[in-house]
Amino acid sequence: MAGLHDDHGARVGLPDLRERLLGPLRAHRFGHGEFEATGGSDAEADVLAAIRERAGEVHERLVHENEVFAVEFVGSTGGGKTKLIEELLERAPADERVGAVVGDVAGEDDATRLREYGIPVENINTGKECHLDPDGVDSALSAFDLEALDTLYVENVGNMVCPADFPLGTSLRVLVVSTTEGGDVVGKHPLLVQAADAAVVNKIDLAEAVGTDLDRVRGDIHEVAPEIPVFETNAKAGTGVDDLAAFLMARRENYTGHTHQ
Amino acid sequence: MHEISIANGILSRAVDAANEHGADRIDALTIEIGRATHVNPEQVVFCLEAIADSTPAAEATIRTETIQPRAECDCGWEGTPESLDLPGGFAPNIRCPDCGQRADLVRGRECRLASIEVPDASPEDKPPARRADEVRGSPS
Ligand SMILES: [Zn+2]
Repeated sequence: MAGLHDDHGARVGLPDLRERLLGPLRAHRFGHGEFEATGGSDAEADVLAAIRERAGEVHERLVHENEVFAVEFVGSTGGGKTKLIEELLERAPADERVGAVVGDVAGEDDATRLREYGIPVENINTGKECHLDPDGVDSALSAFDLEALDTLYVENVGNMVCPADFPLGTSLRVLVVSTTEGGDVVGKHPLLVQAADAAVVNKIDLAEAVGTDLDRVRGDIHEVAPEIPVFETNAKAGTGVDDLAAFLMARRENYTGHTHQ
Repeated sequence: MHEISIANGILSRAVDAANEHGADRIDALTIEIGRATHVNPEQVVFCLEAIADSTPAAEATIRTETIQPRAECDCGWEGTPESLDLPGGFAPNIRCPDCGQRADLVRGRECRLASIEVPDASPEDKPPARRADEVRGSPS
């Protein structure tokens, strides 16, 4: 297959032949609205812009129509996303009405864990897909009484690559990396780090044992995604989770009645 | 592996555009893929070829072009961000070189159908030929 393509991925040879056999061509060039500045009309030709537009609709439904503060957790399998959500649920004020959407390629394990907290949880099995997408989240939302929710936690499928291209429309995206993923975990997944609004470095208690330099991880996040807040946690022991909870609470207050554009 | 759904989106846009032109065959299509995405051009081409069977694009030549990122900062700076040298491959340095704040990427995150080529309309059964530039994909 590769042999048929030149550096730009074009098939070599056939176009000339086709032109000789079939005569001249008409070319239809799609308009090039300046990316997102035109209010999303690029979605007509741009499949990724179309996904961002769908995410914007989910955002509208969740945050604006129903005033739900929605937080997505994204990161590798085993990095501690579910445990962090559990710790946040432990700290939730008694009157906070919380729900969760959990994405997994298969199974219900994480959803079952969160249901223990007596909150409504919707499980999305993505099958072959390696990430949640706005359509999946949107249909999962039908299972909730959104007006009766204050906060929705969305746990994405364990994956450090694909979710970078697929925003979900939440209020905030929190990246969770753990020290056991190595000191170069940020540098290996820069686009996802850039697509996050906050980062959690989890399992700090294990950093020394696995030889991960926390300063490096912190510095890399700062370099790749300037200005995003970084929290260091040991979710298993609850260490550092208070700071994350306080940050989310502050952002939630900012979000009440916020407007876009 | 989400290239198959991306390929699906590209294909349906291409077929729609061909229909608008009254063309029943797409000879070529060009896809622009931003460098700051995880879309793999070879996989998109592979998926497109696989799903284009028995569609007007079955025989289409598929070209991809890489779009370099472009960033804008609130301070007024606008330009091509440097590349960060990282083990995970390409990522733009989105720190503004002028003021040090975080700049926004305005190009480089796209995966768009840039053009299609269809056979020239035969004069007797088609409206007067429109120049390519007059036919826009965007409604605006
Ligand atoms: Zn600046």
